Amino acid sequence: MSKIRSALIVDDEPDVIAYVGAVLEGCGFTVHTADSSENGLKIAEKVSPDIICLDIMMPKESGLTMYTKLRANKELAGIPVIIISGIQTEEEFDFQQLVRDSDVPPPEAFFEKPINVSTFEKEVLHIVDHLKAKRARKKGVL
Amino acid sequence: MNKLPRKSVAGLEDWMCRSLFEQVPFNVAIIDRDYNIVSANSNFSEYFGPWKGKKCYKVYKNLSQPCLGCDARLTFEDGQPRLSDESGVDQHGKEAHYVVHIAPLTKRKGGAVKYIVEMSRDVVETKNWQMEYQLLFERVPCYITVIDRNYTIIRANENFRKNFGDVVGRKCFEVYKKRKTKCPNCPAARTFRDGQVHRSQQTGIKKGGEKAHYVLTTSPLGRQTDQIAHVIEMSTDITDVKKLEKEVIEAERLSAVGQTVAGLAHSIKNILMGLEGGMYIMGRGLEANDREKLDQGWDMLERNFNKTTSLVRDFLSFAKGKMPELEIVDPNELVEEIIGLYKTVAAEHGVNLRADLDTKVSAVPLDPKGVHTCLTNLVSNAIDACEMSDSKTGEVCISTSDKNGVLSFIVSDDGTGMDSDIKKKVFTTFFTTKGGKGTGLGLLTTRKIVKEHGGKISVRSKTGTGTTFRISFPKSRLNMLYREEKSENELETQVRERP
Repeated sequence: MSKIRSALIVDDEPDVIAYVGAVLEGCGFTVHTADSSENGLKIAEKVSPDIICLDIMMPKESGLTMYTKLRANKELAGIPVIIISGIQTEEEFDFQQLVRDSDVPPPEAFFEKPINVSTFEKEVLHIVDHLKAKRARKKGVL
Repeated sequence: MNKLPRKSVAGLEDWMCRSLFEQVPFNVAIIDRDYNIVSANSNFSEYFGPWKGKKCYKVYKNLSQPCLGCDARLTFEDGQPRLSDESGVDQHGKEAHYVVHIAPLTKRKGGAVKYIVEMSRDVVETKNWQMEYQLLFERVPCYITVIDRNYTIIRANENFRKNFGDVVGRKCFEVYKKRKTKCPNCPAARTFRDGQVHRSQQTGIKKGGEKAHYVLTTSPLGRQTDQIAHVIEMSTDITDVKKLEKEVIEAERLSAVGQTVAGLAHSIKNILMGLEGGMYIMGRGLEANDREKLDQGWDMLERNFNKTTSLVRDFLSFAKGKMPELEIVDPNELVEEIIGLYKTVAAEHGVNLRADLDTKVSAVPLDPKGVHTCLTNLVSNAIDACEMSDSKTGEVCISTSDKNGVLSFIVSDDGTGMDSDIKKKVFTTFFTTKGGKGTGLGLLTTRKIVKEHGGKISVRSKTGTGTTFRISFPKSRLNMLYREEKSENELETQVRERP
C-alpha cells in the first residue's frame, strides 16, 4: 500500500493556509503548515513532504530565500515546489532575476493568487505522480 | 603760479583773486551783457577750448545766437544768482553735461549788472551713472517699488508697472494684494520699525487678476537716520517655479500611486484568495454537512470582507493628494483624545496606554485630522507590537515635547521591537509584519501626512526591547504653512469677489 502523501504549505496568511490546506486535504494529502520561511525549512527537514506550496512575499525572510536554501540542501533539493503568490506570474515574475543565481533551477510550477482549484489540483497531482514515476524508473534502472 | 606781491594790501587781494580764479575746481568765465566772454580760467579753456573774442553761446553750445531761455540774460535783468543743468559741447565737439552757477558781478549792491560770472562743473560721469542706475532700476528682471511711511508707492520699475499697472501714488497693499487695508505681518512695516532687511514669500494679484507668487525683500532706503522715510521692496517672481514645484509634487504623488497599485493588486489578490478559500471551505462544509467547516469558511469570508474595508480606507487616505488643513490646535488635547479612544482596546490586549505630556507645549497650526490619523496608526502598531511580544503585559506611552522650536509626538512601546531589516522596510508600500491583519499602508500614510506638515518621522527600535516612533514638526515651518494657507484663502476670496 502506498504511503499517504504529505504537503507543506508556507504562507504568512492564515486564510491561504486554510484554503490551500483544504484543497490538498481533498486530494488526499496530509497537510503541514508554516507561517514563515524559517519555520517552513524546519518542518520540511522534519517531515520531508511530497510537495511544498510556497508564498513569496512574507515578512522577515522571503519565500525565495527559503526556496534557494531548499535547493541547496541535499536532503530537500528533490522536493517539488509550487510557488503560490500574488505576484503576477507571467508578466512580473522573473524567477532567475529574483533568485539572482542561474544555478538554482526554477520551481515545478507557479500559481497566481487566487488559485483556480481544479487546475491547481490537477497540477499538484501531476507533479507528485510524475515525480513518483520518475523515481520508480530510476530505481528500476539501478 | 602767480608770485606773491610783497608791497601793498591791494596787491595781495588782487593776487588772491587771481589765484582763486585759476585754482577753483570749476570752469569759470566772466561774461558781459553782449554775451562776450571777457575772461575765463584755464579749466574753462581746457574744457571748452579757445574762447577769446567769442560769444558764450558759441563756446558753450556752438550756437550762432543766444540760447532760448538763457539764464544769464535773466541774471543780467534781475541781478539774482541762478543754478542750471545744461548740455553743450566740449572743445572736442563731444556732448558735455554740466551744472552752471550764475552770479552777478556788480560794483555795489542793487547796481546794474555789467558782468556775470559763470562757474560750471562737468557732470557727464554723474549723468552716465544716473542713466545706468535708471536703466538698472527699470530693466532688472524683478519687481521694485519704493514706498513711503504711508505705504504709498512713490516709484516702481518697468517690470512692476507691466505686471501691476500704473501704480505710483497708490497704496502698496492695494496694488500688490488688492486689499483695502495694510497686510498683516507686513514686511515693509517691520523694516520701517527696525531698519533691517526682511525676506518673505508672498502671494499677490497681478493687474489681469492672475496670482503671482514672489519672494519679497524689504530694505531701508537712504541714509541711516532715526526714522526711515522710505523702504525699497524688491521681489522675484517665483510663480513659474511654484507651478513646477506643484507639478513635481503631483508627478511624485502619481508615481507613488502607480507603484502602490502593484502592491495594492497583491493585497487584493490575497483578499480574493481568502474569499474564495472561505467559499470553498463553506462548500465543503455544506457537502459534508460539517458545521465546523461551515463556521471556518464563514469566518474567512467575514475576515476578508473586513480586510477589504480597511484596505480601501487606508488606500484612499494614502492616495489623497490634499494639503493639510491647518487649524490652531493643542497637541496635548489631540493626544488625550487618542488615549480616550484606545485605552479600552489596549487594556483588552493587556496593554497599559498612557500619556506623558509636556505642559510647555502650546497650541500650534496642525491638521487635526491628519495628526489624528498618524497617532492612531502609531498607537495601534504599538499595541500590536506589545501583543506580539512574549511578555503578557505591555506598555505604550504617547508623549509630547517642545524643544528648540520643534514640536514632537513620541509613541513608544515595550513590544517585540524590530530588527534592522524590518526597520529598513517599515516605510515601504504594503510592507507589513502583521500578516493578513495589516494593510502595509499605515506607516506610509503617517509619513506622508508628516511630510505634508514639513515635519519628519524617525524610528528607534531593538528586537525584544521595543520601538519608539518620533514625529517632529518645526514650529516655524508650521507657522509659515499656516500664513501661506491663510493668505491663499484670502486671495482666493478676493479673486472670486473681483468683478
